[in-house]
Amino acid sequence: MALRDIKPTRSELINLKRKIRLSERGYKILKMKRDGLILEFFKVLTEAKDTRGDLLDKYAKAVETMALANTVEGAIGVKSAAFSVAEIPEIKLKSKNIMGVIVPEIESSKVKKSLVDRGYGVLGTSTVIDETATAFEELVEAIIESAEIETTMKRLLDEIESTKRRVNALEFKVIPELTEAQDFIKMRLDEMEREELFRLKKIKARSAA
Amino acid sequence: MEIAVIGNSEFILGFRLAGIQKTYAADSDEKLSEHINKVLQDVNVGILVLNSKDMERIPRRLRATLEESVRPTVIAIGGEEGGLSMRERIKRSVGVDLWK
Repeated sequence: MALRDIKPTRSELINLKRKIRLSERGYKILKMKRDGLILEFFKVLTEAKDTRGDLLDKYAKAVETMALANTVEGAIGVKSAAFSVAEIPEIKLKSKNIMGVIVPEIESSKVKKSLVDRGYGVLGTSTVIDETATAFEELVEAIIESAEIETTMKRLLDEIESTKRRVNALEFKVIPELTEAQDFIKMRLDEMEREELFRLKKIKARSAA
Repeated sequence: MEIAVIGNSEFILGFRLAGIQKTYAADSDEKLSEHINKVLQDVNVGILVLNSKDMERIPRRLRATLEESVRPTVIAIGGEEGGLSMRERIKRSVGVDLWK
């Protein structure tokens, strides 16, 4: 709002005062929201770091056992075992609310299966296959866990960014402009009052003469 | 909901052993993008697992969509990629490098 667009009237001043009060209240609330979100974010951050590390470890282990299985059983042996696994790990997405941010909560049916449930014949395959399957089942569990946490992080970060933008816009743009306009109107009103007073005096002096 | 895995045939084989059915073999770049697009359309997929080496090969635009995507959540494993993109985001939103 440029200064020249403002009409220096009393009603405009009252409107401006109301607007300033509103923006200041909004500013305070948004600032609290931002701080709250950052606090939540810190909570998730440590967790996310842990699960990331865990995930990498499990992946390394899984790849290692896979290579072993490939050498012992041959690629075709592993493949045939893999194709006979019937049970699918199911995941359920629920949502949770952190300070107005909708965050997923992933629940999974059990990924780990016992030897018999896996679907391939126990006799026909060697223990390396079992080990590989276990390693990958663990990996999948880690993936599910870190998927939940990483999505939470992404959502929180987005919300923090937009809240921060809003807070800054209010603090450095909206509120200063409004106060500037308010000061301008006050000054003009005072000036008009002084002019009026002077005019009255002038008239009085002329009529007395 | 299910988990989907895209990668070279060796990568996905292990996940098949863990019982995941939606595994897509992608050995060429075009196949990779094609499968990813298909999985993104699939409402039944909750988590998409990628190899971080493949993640680097995806066109920039698609990669950006993947990084922003919440449903399905995309996770790249092997290497530090997931950490790196997360690090960028944290730097942008919080203003401080808090990752490690």
